[in-house]
Amino acid sequence: MGAEHAWLLAAIPAGAFVVLALFGRYLARGGDWLGIAAIATSFALFFPVLADFLSEGDGLGPFTAAVEWTRIGDFSFPMGIFVDPITIVMLAVITTVAFMVNIFSVGYMKGEPRYWWFFAVLQLFAASMILLVLADNLLLLYIAWELVGLCSFLLIGFYWEKRSAVEAAKKAFVTTRIGDVGLLIGIILLWREAGTFNIQEILRLAEEGHFGHTYLLVAMLFIFIGAMGKSAQVPFHVWLPDAMEGPTPVSALIHAATMVVAGVYLVNRMLPAFEVVDETLLVITVVGLVTAILTGFMAFAQTDIKKVLAYSTVGQLGFMFVAAGAGAPEASMFHLMTHAFFKALLFLAAGSVIIGTHHHQDMNELGGLWKRMPITGTTFLIGSLALAGVPPLAGFWSKDEILVVLDKQWGPWAVSLLGFAAILTAFYTTRLFIRTFLGQPRDPHIAEHTTETPPVMTGPLLFLALLSVVSGLVVFHEVGTALGFPGGFGEFVFLPSHGPHGYEFDAAFAGASVVLALLGIFTSGWLYWGGRLDRSTRLAEWQPRLYDMLVNKFYFDELYQAAIDYGILGFSYVVSWFDRYVVNDTGVDGSAQVTGYAGFILKHLQSGRLPHYAMSLALGVVVLAVAGLVMRG
Amino acid sequence: MRDYSLFVPEYIAAGAAIAIVAIELIWPRLRKDVLAYLMAAVSLGWLAASLAYLGRDPKEFMGVLVVDDFTTYFRALAAGIVFVTCLLSAQYLRRRTREASEYYGLLLTAGAGMSLMAAARELLTAYLALELLSFSLYILVGFFRRDLKSNEASLKYVLLGGFASAMLLYGISLLYGLTGNTTYDAVAEALANRSGDTDVAAIAAFVLIIAGLGFKVSAVPFHTWAPDAYTGAPVPITAFLSTASKAAGFALILRLFTNAFHTDPEEWRWLVAVVAALTIVFGNLVAIQQTNFRRLIAYSSIGQVGYMLVPVAALGYGDGEIAHAATAALLLHLTGYIISTLAAFSAFQAAYDRTGDDTIPGLRGLAETQPFLAMVITISLFSFAGLPVFAGFATKLFMFQASALPELMWLVGIAVAASFVSLYYYLMVMRQMYLFDPPEGASRFRVTPALWAAAAALMLGTIFVGAYPQPLFDAADGAASALFQEGAAPHQVRER
Repeated sequence: MGAEHAWLLAAIPAGAFVVLALFGRYLARGGDWLGIAAIATSFALFFPVLADFLSEGDGLGPFTAAVEWTRIGDFSFPMGIFVDPITIVMLAVITTVAFMVNIFSVGYMKGEPRYWWFFAVLQLFAASMILLVLADNLLLLYIAWELVGLCSFLLIGFYWEKRSAVEAAKKAFVTTRIGDVGLLIGIILLWREAGTFNIQEILRLAEEGHFGHTYLLVAMLFIFIGAMGKSAQVPFHVWLPDAMEGPTPVSALIHAATMVVAGVYLVNRMLPAFEVVDETLLVITVVGLVTAILTGFMAFAQTDIKKVLAYSTVGQLGFMFVAAGAGAPEASMFHLMTHAFFKALLFLAAGSVIIGTHHHQDMNELGGLWKRMPITGTTFLIGSLALAGVPPLAGFWSKDEILVVLDKQWGPWAVSLLGFAAILTAFYTTRLFIRTFLGQPRDPHIAEHTTETPPVMTGPLLFLALLSVVSGLVVFHEVGTALGFPGGFGEFVFLPSHGPHGYEFDAAFAGASVVLALLGIFTSGWLYWGGRLDRSTRLAEWQPRLYDMLVNKFYFDELYQAAIDYGILGFSYVVSWFDRYVVNDTGVDGSAQVTGYAGFILKHLQSGRLPHYAMSLALGVVVLAVAGLVMRG
Repeated sequence: MRDYSLFVPEYIAAGAAIAIVAIELIWPRLRKDVLAYLMAAVSLGWLAASLAYLGRDPKEFMGVLVVDDFTTYFRALAAGIVFVTCLLSAQYLRRRTREASEYYGLLLTAGAGMSLMAAARELLTAYLALELLSFSLYILVGFFRRDLKSNEASLKYVLLGGFASAMLLYGISLLYGLTGNTTYDAVAEALANRSGDTDVAAIAAFVLIIAGLGFKVSAVPFHTWAPDAYTGAPVPITAFLSTASKAAGFALILRLFTNAFHTDPEEWRWLVAVVAALTIVFGNLVAIQQTNFRRLIAYSSIGQVGYMLVPVAALGYGDGEIAHAATAALLLHLTGYIISTLAAFSAFQAAYDRTGDDTIPGLRGLAETQPFLAMVITISLFSFAGLPVFAGFATKLFMFQASALPELMWLVGIAVAASFVSLYYYLMVMRQMYLFDPPEGASRFRVTPALWAAAAALMLGTIFVGAYPQPLFDAADGAASALFQEGAAPHQVRER
């Protein structure tokens, strides 16, 4: 199968979604087998696509194929796919993780209500996400972008009965929609000057200087706002931790490995245009750095396993933006890939803990689980070490790449800030592992009933653990060549303007990177060893206000609530009050019922309300006419 | 030339309107839902008769009416809306009244008024057609004589409607004074050649005419009647008001502005743009505060009208080609909006038949008691909010794309931002349906087959238009072409 048929990867889960949505509830086992079969087919089909892609020419030429969606006058809206190395990496990540998550869900969601619906939406998500990375134009990308948002909304709110879940779904939807409006405005701006939605055309025009500098700058900043919203960068980060209300496999797939990296993908995809207006690169880097550091701190005081992982995800997305901001899509995409594997692993392992302990996910109740859940514990440890950046696990290589490119682009100040974020990462990861798996159980009752989860859940864990160990090695030229690639990661994914480059092992950076990781690990280990909390409690008591600030996540939520209450809602209240009492009324809401039929005409004629209505019409005419005469007369 | 064969669809509508009154007189015990289904069948005949004119050469009737593809488009829309409204009314009316024939008769005359508004090429004919629609609606809104809300709504509507008609007529007479004629062609010719010292009169005429038509489509600040009329009217009439009445208004506006006013755009285009901006901002902001579903839809539809006024403004700013594209896009969006609105109302009607509650909290727990209806309402609201895959996204996209002239970018920006705000109040409805438990004692219920089929078909229509808009766009483009054919818009634009 050729790469031009890559759309099948999306079409197959989409078909499965239709079948499951319509008939899922009548199928045996809620049709989970159909979902798994569909995503397994996509996963399997990825390899012929990859092989075909690599066998053509130098193996790097993009593939395109397009059909016309709608023609409007002279303006046509073609919808097509575009396959290049960035797409290939995304496809690999999406199909692999989606496949594993589907299998895992069979165990995790067992016995849940609306089991069939869960698998149906999961297929819709996979299809939309694959469509998003295949889209060759911004319009199709935007459609897919909204679709994955919709799936995320549906899945976060999967437990309708839980009020917090629905609130979280709404929050996620609304917050990301703010970013989406930015994205849409950016797309419209680009389209207006370029006359096309095609991404490659737009990039070409941008590089040729077709856009004015300020114009392009504004447009790209709007695009970046869209990316920030989707990838939960500060100040849009508030929705992602709440999104953990969804079922854990959803957190692994959507809120760690795939959907939230759509923003990173978009920035990397449009990077040539960002480079034309290179002020934006600094913005991207700073946003990434701020996010990485702030969320690193926020993860400190969380006790819910999934929330720690959520803040960690936001932070790692910050790392990816930092790499993109350094003009290095190879480093950014590399970290995206390794992170997808080890973070999906961590989330699934957390899900395994939740099932094994019968729905407990607060560290304050857990501890000492390694003995009870050896596979989950071991795989969680592998994921943690990869996240902390310990060699030779995946996270080490990709983080090291980012530090190297960051040094080249921005110099020591950026490197030291990101290095600090790396220490924080290692710190909270260690804390998470120690408090969950080591020491004595804090609640012996829970520990007593804890058992290892069935193979349908541990299987995906083991597979992802394997990937978390080895996936970092593709950075090496020899590994890439052995796999049939044109070389290492940097020789596969690169900007045309930069050209491919091989991985250079820099002992100083690698050493520093290891030291940073160990620093975080040992500090955390010293504080929490054996699951003891007295040292950390003393620390919290030493600076209570700082601790409060961390527990309350720097008060972002409170700030936004106030802004909405006093801002939009206040404004709309004023306008609505004006409409009611000055030009309109609420007569139908009550007064009519209490007056007699005969009296009401008189009553209402005298109440002065109808004249108010008429007045508004007349005033409207007069004001408009006067305005017209002043303007044009 | 008097070619009476041009108006077969209107004969069907008017004839059936008379016949149904006679039928009820002769067989007073006939079940009222039978009358509804009878009229639904008639409107299908009406639709077929309308489509028979498709693709024929445009023919004029004494210079005041024209039957071309544009007329056919709106005839078909009118027949379709009446058809759905009859289905919505069947059980609702049967439970509430013993004399239903006038109701269905007036629906048909209202529909005929709408077709004639699309066909009119002369100011007074257009005015008469508009009044035919309005008078039918005044009675329909107050159809339940014993219902105070319905009465009050009707009374307000009549009084304000009279006021608006007066303004429209005054505008027409000013225009007549300026141009010495009332046919669109002659008005266009005269406007192109008028001298500079008539600016004041021209502006006054345009303001008054836009106010009169703005009232019909409920554009701010001429919208005040809409929320009350929407809440007080019988529920199916609310659906009719928010679709047919607006469609008819835009039919008249499009032909008037592209055939009569296009030669003098400088005096009115800014006005339409300002009204559009006001309508968008106002409708969407006030909608947030609503607690009644019908009032919410009223304000949301005011916002939608604001979006639809954007391409009307573009008619004045762009050249003929842009005007053509804007017209086609507006027709497409209007149709998508009508399909989504009717879908929402079919589902709402079914729920309302059960609960008798038209507040938003009245829908609570609908996802549990009737998940199908909850899904239809959700999809319609998503379509209003412009989410992809549903009609509202594609149609709004094309509409804004066609209107994105440099002079109107600010307006398009406002419209895009407002679409975002609108999601907030649509989510309020979904929250009630999905988040809350049904009221005590509510159980799962069945929907009558007619309503179920209408809701399902309209929901699929909403998705189809969103996923594959080409066929509908081609139809809209064909209708728009009729307005821009050789000879239809021949004049030079006035130079200042």
